[in-house]
Amino acid sequence: MSDSVSMAVDLGGIRMKNPINTASGTFGNGWQFEGFFDVSTLGAITTKGCSAEPWDGNPAPRMVERTSAIMNSVGLQNPGVAGLVESCGDYLKGLEGRGCRVICQVAGHSLEEYARAVELLEELAPFASGLELNISCPNVSQGGAAMGATPAAAAEVMRTVRPLTSRPVVVKMAPHDVAEIGRALESEGADALSLINTIPAMAIDVRTRKSRLSRPTAGLSGPAIHPIAVRMVWECARAVSIPICGIGGIESGEDAAEMILAGATAVSVGTASLHDPTAAPRILAELEEWAASQGVSDINELIGAVQC
Amino acid sequence: MTHVSSVSLHRFEVVSNEEVADGVFRLVLSSPDLARALRPGQFMNFEVPGDASHILRIPLSFASADAEKGTVEVLYATVGEGTRRLSLMRPHDASTVVGPCGNGWSVDGGGRALLVAGGIGAPPVVAAARALVGAGRTVDVVLGSRSASTLWGREAALEAGADEVLVTTDDGSAGIHGLVTVAVDELMGRHDYDLVCTCGPNVMMAAVARVCEDAGIACQASLERMMTCGFGACNTCNVQMRAGGYKACCTDGPVFDAREVLW
Repeated sequence: MSDSVSMAVDLGGIRMKNPINTASGTFGNGWQFEGFFDVSTLGAITTKGCSAEPWDGNPAPRMVERTSAIMNSVGLQNPGVAGLVESCGDYLKGLEGRGCRVICQVAGHSLEEYARAVELLEELAPFASGLELNISCPNVSQGGAAMGATPAAAAEVMRTVRPLTSRPVVVKMAPHDVAEIGRALESEGADALSLINTIPAMAIDVRTRKSRLSRPTAGLSGPAIHPIAVRMVWECARAVSIPICGIGGIESGEDAAEMILAGATAVSVGTASLHDPTAAPRILAELEEWAASQGVSDINELIGAVQC
Repeated sequence: MTHVSSVSLHRFEVVSNEEVADGVFRLVLSSPDLARALRPGQFMNFEVPGDASHILRIPLSFASADAEKGTVEVLYATVGEGTRRLSLMRPHDASTVVGPCGNGWSVDGGGRALLVAGGIGAPPVVAAARALVGAGRTVDVVLGSRSASTLWGREAALEAGADEVLVTTDDGSAGIHGLVTVAVDELMGRHDYDLVCTCGPNVMMAAVARVCEDAGIACQASLERMMTCGFGACNTCNVQMRAGGYKACCTDGPVFDAREVLW
């Protein structure tokens, strides 16, 4: 059917056998999905955001469903780098051995905390092919999205982390000013960009007049945000020359194909994995079918190939 | 920590799906692998077809599973859009569930056990009754309901082998007029228990947990949360623990030692 199309892509030095990655926070740390499908068939997985020290995350409730979307306010609950490696380092190392790239996501409240988390990942998780800096989480009070809110702030995080690792660094971007912030990150040595993170949003219980989540605002994701994400990937891709991982409401191979045509080299499946745990391999198969239908021998020929 | 998850995707077909009390439906589904794998107190995350704008699955526990017939009996209340659509599924309609999810009831031990359910918390409590009776225990059951018309579980609990079944209703239309704790106090006055299992509204379980703690009786509580994925991928169903921090309702629960939960 489609075995004539080469699906391998290079996300800033992270060599993936196909363009399918998983969005951090929607895929556990991979092993939870092994009962559903062979995770090593994916191009890459991105781990849950991890900080130097363990974080408790936000109080309940952390989730509410909206039309064609969900809102979450997890707040980067994680066991810290040491806890991550202790709990599933062997699995992640094995996954790399099985040909699936592991990207460890890094979170912090401050420049010092990002630096410390990267240092710990250098020491404890040398098996991972790449790191993803999360400078766009909307659900934490300190750091989070504030770290990437302006080109100058985003550049400062990248400048702090760059000397600490020679591994490819992907930066997860917030859904605003993606051209300007993308350029700033590229100039500080980012190897790739991933966008978009969830969109800050609000849901109110009109009976109690309170937020339906534990904080006033939370991150919107799912199919409702897909067209916004495609537009932002397109804007960012025209502004930078480093590769982009497109994220936002990808539910089908066609959704993934839109991201690639808009300029993404790889794509991450996010919210879809929560309601359809087999979404990622299904989207891969559909994407291969689409690539074959386009009469190309290499999916890289389709990156940014939108005609407008 | 294990790196092999036993949770997987199961196709099912509807055998029957009928209203058995006001707003309470009994779904029997056919899914042989699932019926063999489920343990009392575990749950499944249902994909309900018919509306693509509602993307999440619906988490439901079960009342009984028949490994020989390959069927699972699920009781659910039509409380929202998803359960309303589920109530429209007809025999031979097919969909999928994610499961079996979570840890079930612990039935070890040999003394008399008291099971306390509120509303649609009754199905997993009936499953617990059957398992505890099967393990050689004597079991009494308290079922709380808004009124006689919304009550389900009395006959099922007796069929599961319960010794005494007491009903309480908010409006007094059946059994004792009042909260489940009235019936709990009455039964605790007559029998010695070494285990209480409870499932229902949070405020009810908190009250039962308090009674058990004061009386020094072990208490297992099956908690309800917004279970987004059901298998530990998203961290959204957090339960606050008394010792600090959170646990995941879907994988660490849904059955918890009530003393460890911060009510």
